Amino acid sequence: MGVPVQRRRLLKMTAALAGMAMLAACGGGTGAAAQNAGGEGGIASNIKLMGVYDTTGPVAYAGVGASKGMKLAMEEIEKQAFLGPDVKLTLDEVDTAGAIERASSEVSRAIADSEVKAIFGPVSGQQAATVAPIVEQAGVPTIFNQAGSEGVVIGDFTFRGTAPMYSYYDIAAKYLADKGLTDVAVIYNGTFPTFAEIGQKEFPRLAGEHGLTVSSSYAVQSNTQDFTAQAQEIAAKKPDAVVLLLIAPQAVTALTQLGQAGYEGQTVGSSVQAAGNVAQAGEHAAGLVYPVDFSAAQDDETAVKFVEEFTKKYGKAPDQYAAEGYDSMWWLARAIKASGDSSRAGIQKGLQKVAAEGFEGVMGDLTFEGNDLRVKGVLVQWDGSKERLATE
Amino acid sequence: MQELLNTLTLGSIYLLFALGMALAWSTIGILNFAHGAIFVFSAFSAHIISEHVALSMPVLILISVLVGAAMSALTQWLAFEQILKRSTNHRSAEMRVLIGGIGVAAIPIAIVDKATASAPFGFANSTYKTEVYESMGLRMTNTSLIVIITGVGIAVALTLWLRASRRGLGLRAIGVDSETASLMGVNRTAMALGTMAIAGGLAGLAGALQVFQLQAMGVATGDQLLIKAFAMIVLGGLGSMAGVIFGAFALAGAETLIFAAKLGTWVDAVSFGLIFLVLLVRPQGIFGRQEVRRT
Amino acid sequence: MMAWYTANAVVVQATMTTLLLALSIQLPLRVGVFSFAGVGCFGIGGYTAAILYTKFDVDTWPAVALGTLLAGGLCYLLGLIIHKLSGLYLGMATIAFSLIVAVAATNGGSLTGGASGIFGALGGITNLHVLLLLALVVAGLAISEYGRFGRMIDTVREDPELAAALGINVGRYRKLTFLASGLIGGLAGAVTTLLRSTITPAEVNFHMVVVALTVIIIGGSSSWLGALIGAIVITWLPTVLSFVADWESIIYGFLVALAAIFLPGGVLGLAKDLIHRWRARRRPTPPAPPASEAEKIPGGEPSSPATERSLASTQGGTS
Repeated sequence: MGVPVQRRRLLKMTAALAGMAMLAACGGGTGAAAQNAGGEGGIASNIKLMGVYDTTGPVAYAGVGASKGMKLAMEEIEKQAFLGPDVKLTLDEVDTAGAIERASSEVSRAIADSEVKAIFGPVSGQQAATVAPIVEQAGVPTIFNQAGSEGVVIGDFTFRGTAPMYSYYDIAAKYLADKGLTDVAVIYNGTFPTFAEIGQKEFPRLAGEHGLTVSSSYAVQSNTQDFTAQAQEIAAKKPDAVVLLLIAPQAVTALTQLGQAGYEGQTVGSSVQAAGNVAQAGEHAAGLVYPVDFSAAQDDETAVKFVEEFTKKYGKAPDQYAAEGYDSMWWLARAIKASGDSSRAGIQKGLQKVAAEGFEGVMGDLTFEGNDLRVKGVLVQWDGSKERLATE
Repeated sequence: MQELLNTLTLGSIYLLFALGMALAWSTIGILNFAHGAIFVFSAFSAHIISEHVALSMPVLILISVLVGAAMSALTQWLAFEQILKRSTNHRSAEMRVLIGGIGVAAIPIAIVDKATASAPFGFANSTYKTEVYESMGLRMTNTSLIVIITGVGIAVALTLWLRASRRGLGLRAIGVDSETASLMGVNRTAMALGTMAIAGGLAGLAGALQVFQLQAMGVATGDQLLIKAFAMIVLGGLGSMAGVIFGAFALAGAETLIFAAKLGTWVDAVSFGLIFLVLLVRPQGIFGRQEVRRT
Repeated sequence: MMAWYTANAVVVQATMTTLLLALSIQLPLRVGVFSFAGVGCFGIGGYTAAILYTKFDVDTWPAVALGTLLAGGLCYLLGLIIHKLSGLYLGMATIAFSLIVAVAATNGGSLTGGASGIFGALGGITNLHVLLLLALVVAGLAISEYGRFGRMIDTVREDPELAAALGINVGRYRKLTFLASGLIGGLAGAVTTLLRSTITPAEVNFHMVVVALTVIIIGGSSSWLGALIGAIVITWLPTVLSFVADWESIIYGFLVALAAIFLPGGVLGLAKDLIHRWRARRRPTPPAPPASEAEKIPGGEPSSPATERSLASTQGGTS
């Protein structure tokens, strides 16, 4: 009955909406170009930073950990008057809640706010890779934590405060070589980018360098839950060591099933097994070694002090994410001091300057490959209930 | 031979998960997409309690089953029943039940995610100890034995019960034609609530056993199993319990073989490719009857 | 307004791309084809465009066009093979298709970038371009919703036998639906990828089916306008809810469940009801008595509008 009228109205309404959106789109274009100014030089008394990463959802542990570390570093920077007596750093955080669009939207918003001098970018690889070209284009220095994939550090304004896992995985290969465990089996998650890269490319290369033989290699998917078949095959072949490049629940199952299948050799994991993530495997996980960029068990002075301060503030020992956040914030503070300029351009120059020289952080001697952090890493051993340093 | 044993264990876990879903779907027509969340949350509840008191396996399983049954019945009462009450068209009701389930599922998953900080959880503190048996070159654990016996046992029992008992008949009647069934004296609402409770209990059972078998569960496990279970049920043919049993073991067998062939990252492609082919040859699934419910 | 837009340009963009994806799933559902192949086509379109753009130096628009066409073509072929399957069996087959696309991408070696996917495919697409493309798609869909053509499609969905008896070639309609859905899905994938600059195999999964269905059910499944409403709600809800931080996903779940329960026709259905009632009240002459009667009979239950609408739609479908 009344349908045709309604329909015409709807069509009109959509046409109007479309027109409005077009106008807005044109406006957006000019607005974006005009906001790239504002490098006044000198250190401002209030330096506003923006944190755009997951604090809820599946990778929240990384975002929350980094955030805790950064806040501790900010307190210390202020207390020490590192940047001068009246300089204050403020960090506004927004949650990206696992959504790519949310990340790029929040980053665009931060770019539009000329008060924001630097951004701490998303911890998830794909969010970071989406955001990277945007901040490059806008010229806002952005430090990413975690986000180990390619396409994140792509130019002068993108920095990464987490060393990619493959870059310090050599200490695991070296450990095996030193112990004479040369026959190695690998189980890796081929649908998880970091592990796919190490499992397919990096570890075979490292093995070659250290005189190890990868006698068998098993690819699985992220949704693989049962490892009985692989475990039994490995137990039958008895290689000296098994390298597990698996996400947290998978590693627990694989370790357990290896144990049940009667495998008694050395097991090697990755930093995903840190923070007690293998505790559920009980005795089967005892003896597992894995390289990390930071462990609360580290015994050098800086690290011990950091663990102490962190535990005092949060009542819990720091994890690797906290250490990465802490060192990243200090990197930023050093950058501002180095360039004596807290503008976006100044911070960018400073970050590069600090990176060129390297500095000592809680993760040890930090060096950089371009804008990308490198650490030596430490090998830790899980003794069934806690982490300790593996003898080097 | 060892492969067969592994397939049997893996298939039994799949089966336990899929049984509850298939039961609700093929009888009262509810495709519950919160099944995976219920599965995770009931195992998680048992985990929380086991962190405080060292419990034995049967007690942990019982907790998990009860939580699962309660959650599932609650979902049915508060969400699905309300949706069915408010719809006139079968097709739209089906879709809305699907979405309602997805919405409901988000809640327990968010809670578990938050509580565990996405770390895997398990029953490390339970009094149960896994033992490994070895004979004639075959290895198996007491857990997989329990899993196989429970999985196959319950599946067979459920199939027979649906075929032979009066209630089972009533339930199947609802599946064929709910209006006529209620005219024949079948209390649809109560029956549906009971069915969903059983389905949820099965999810809880599957959850607890999976944790015992695999030692740990991640929060995303439920979703991964959900799509596999959907595939198994369709592969076997909706409405047939024997079909689910077949579907579960077929999928587990395919996966084991693909792993044996070292094609680990192709698992989904091969198993779903097979399902695709089977559907082309048998559009109603292997054990499916000609559809009577939908036109 | 301008400042607001600048700050939210990306969310506006996400709304449009989500809408495209949802439309590629909604169209087959409207024709009664339970196909989720649109998600797989999203992957095909996205990967094709990204590969052409980054590895073969193809310009943005040819890359988008080729991605769209390839996805449409493959989806049509899929349709030729499986269009005879019914209901959720078809759903399963199309989900299988979509997952296989993802696995192929994971194992595509350097061409598809393996598990890490493709990065740096930032094409020269603006929101205005997306809007124009969207308008084109919506215009096409709007035509299919109204008049004789629209009624024909309704008949194919509600009663394929009747449609066949009326001389409609049901099989052809179903196959063409695959083509159209594939084209829209491919376009959605190509545009989204070149806007985001990245695509990974992990994206092309069941979760995307869930998002598309949620959009359709919340907004309303009968018309593109419903998908638009749904896309707006789904894309903006998290932003609106972000102040509740930790509770966000819980509230989100509640809202989705509530929408499924209380809005049988989605938000669009609700809006239509309200407009309908408001009109009925403004016209107290002849049509008034039956209207007030209708209000009395169901005892003021909220289920009355549902019955009313479904009656109307059946009439529309068979007349």
